[in-house]
Amino acid sequence: MAQAGKGRLNFRCPSCFMRDIDMDMFYDKEKGEYYCLRCQFHGTEEEVLEKNELARFRYKDMYRRFSFEEE
Amino acid sequence: MDQFILNIIHRPEMVPEYAEKVTGQGKAEDLGRKALLTESLDIFRTQQECAHKNGLKTTIQMTYASLFNDEAVALAKEHHDTYGDEIGLTLLGLPCEQFREKYKTKDFCIWMFSMEDKKAIVRDVFEKFHDCFGFYPESTGSYYLDADLINFIKAEYPSVKCAVATCWEEGPKAYHTCNNSWYTFMDGGPWAPWIPSKANTHAPAANEDEDSGIVAIPHLSRDLLACYDGNGSNFGTHPQNVLRGMIYDTKTWEYPYLYNLIDQYRSLARYNDGYAYNMMFVGPGWMNKMGRWEQPYELLLKSYEDGCAYYGKLKKEGKLTDMTMAEFADYYREKKSYTEPECALWRDILYGSDKQLFWYCDPYMRACVNMDQGGAIVDLRPYAAKLEWPVGIGTKHVQDASYPFLIQEKYRAGYFTHYAGEGTVRSAKLCRGGEEIDLCLCRTKAHFSREGKDRLLTLDPVDVVFEDGLTVTVQSVITFTEGSSEIRIDRRILSVSDPTQTVTIREYMVGCYGTTEYTEDMTSLTLGVDAGEQSAVIPYEYKCREAAAPDAGRVWCRIPPIKTEVSMRAEGLDAKGFVREGYAFSPMFTLGYEGTLKDKEVFSTWLRLERAD
Repeated sequence: MAQAGKGRLNFRCPSCFMRDIDMDMFYDKEKGEYYCLRCQFHGTEEEVLEKNELARFRYKDMYRRFSFEEE
Repeated sequence: MDQFILNIIHRPEMVPEYAEKVTGQGKAEDLGRKALLTESLDIFRTQQECAHKNGLKTTIQMTYASLFNDEAVALAKEHHDTYGDEIGLTLLGLPCEQFREKYKTKDFCIWMFSMEDKKAIVRDVFEKFHDCFGFYPESTGSYYLDADLINFIKAEYPSVKCAVATCWEEGPKAYHTCNNSWYTFMDGGPWAPWIPSKANTHAPAANEDEDSGIVAIPHLSRDLLACYDGNGSNFGTHPQNVLRGMIYDTKTWEYPYLYNLIDQYRSLARYNDGYAYNMMFVGPGWMNKMGRWEQPYELLLKSYEDGCAYYGKLKKEGKLTDMTMAEFADYYREKKSYTEPECALWRDILYGSDKQLFWYCDPYMRACVNMDQGGAIVDLRPYAAKLEWPVGIGTKHVQDASYPFLIQEKYRAGYFTHYAGEGTVRSAKLCRGGEEIDLCLCRTKAHFSREGKDRLLTLDPVDVVFEDGLTVTVQSVITFTEGSSEIRIDRRILSVSDPTQTVTIREYMVGCYGTTEYTEDMTSLTLGVDAGEQSAVIPYEYKCREAAAPDAGRVWCRIPPIKTEVSMRAEGLDAKGFVREGYAFSPMFTLGYEGTLKDKEVFSTWLRLERAD
């Protein structure tokens, strides 16, 4: 089995991101998946992107534009 | 009219942070790679163009590496002449072949070098700058500049009047986020510009004698709520940091949060005599052609263009003034007095919680009040001590540049603890018939006002309901008096469902000292109650002892490792002072006062910070 490398983009581990850790993932060409060196997360690019959307759950006002006029 | 000042800073970093590590993955390190140098300069050019096309001037902070590059030097001169950009000098961006050859180290954070090396590097870099431009810079900086370094720079190069000197709340949280590999520990500083004292960079100078001679600005303007709990590098006026936090719509590539953040900073003018400030400083590594994490280059570029465009729009509307760092230093000296505090009543703009924090900073303290915890003080830094804290190789603190806390709710639990003990917080409990109700559990909102030297935080009243049905409506008013080194807290009983009844109030502060999550040795601390013949002193031995006295004039804790004494005094009916020693599982100390309250009465306490050595 050859060594892993970087994928198309430098994806972080979504599972670690959710616990405030930025962990670059590496790409296993043979399995066609990204995997985390720190935790057990592994998944395809599609799964990573899906989990990244999930990681935004806490940003309830991410799309909201506020006004800061005198309240 | 309110004034919102902006500093935009760019640095031609010939070996950008991250770029070598990321784009060079799988290759042996080569700081002189031609592709790397060319790309770095291209990014700098792009950043400058983004600012200029929006009518914004910048401060170009030359890096050591860029001083060896004729093209970078020529570009800086051209932009100075054409756009009025300031040419300054940063102590970031040291890594390059010339630096490695000369100093034989891979260290690159100026505050972590030995004092001997700091002096040699500063002289080297400043003289090289002079060779290139024929003058010495007026502005400098790094992620952090320790006090000894600032004092040295000011003595050797008096032209320096402004410096980037800390990165707000970049400490253990940033270390953890970076898989425990990012050694920038600099929690506990101001979030907005200040004049550092000669003794400690974080602690603002109280007078001319303490003045280090420069105006310091923070590296980025950071979200005062999100950064306090989460990764600081996701929530600042750094468009790519916002992308790092994944705070954008992946379909439309929009990020209202960035504009909310800028606008909330603008709104801080109402608490600071009409003045507000923003700083944007994006290192070229964040606009890497290879993309950054999940974000392709096109998104990185768009976010920077959008950030500059928004600032440019505000300028066109007359709502923003762009300045160079040196211009800002002059403005700040004119605008602010030494003791004038910086205040920020900050609201959540990301999580939808409606939570408010109030931040206060002056030469004697930095404090954070949490309205989601009934106005409890959840962070407290005793600047009154002006603690000498040398950092770098050869000192006791090679990396740790944080200003120590007495209270830090995230590192030392705050109100909620598991199983036993208490975390650090300054709050109050209302007690009756064996029941204790902490105001930490009463969520409320605050209103800011100013009366002469006082900055007041008036909280919306909250109801405390006891099991027997007695309901007490209490209002907290927190007063910071400029130059007093004290925080006054008044608890006013606005109504009691049965006005014939009384309740006990227990005002308390649970404290400790430290800069990280882990406890320090508490055995050099001393607790005391000053009450004439009933006075008591407890040398700390983790024995869970307590001392109390009626009519105590003062209760206190002396903390020699941080040369600080914290004390409380009270005014109110039956005021009894007490101190409590911690124990091994919960090593924090407690200071407090108990009193009796009935309808329409007020119980007042003052928390005081002093240097003790």
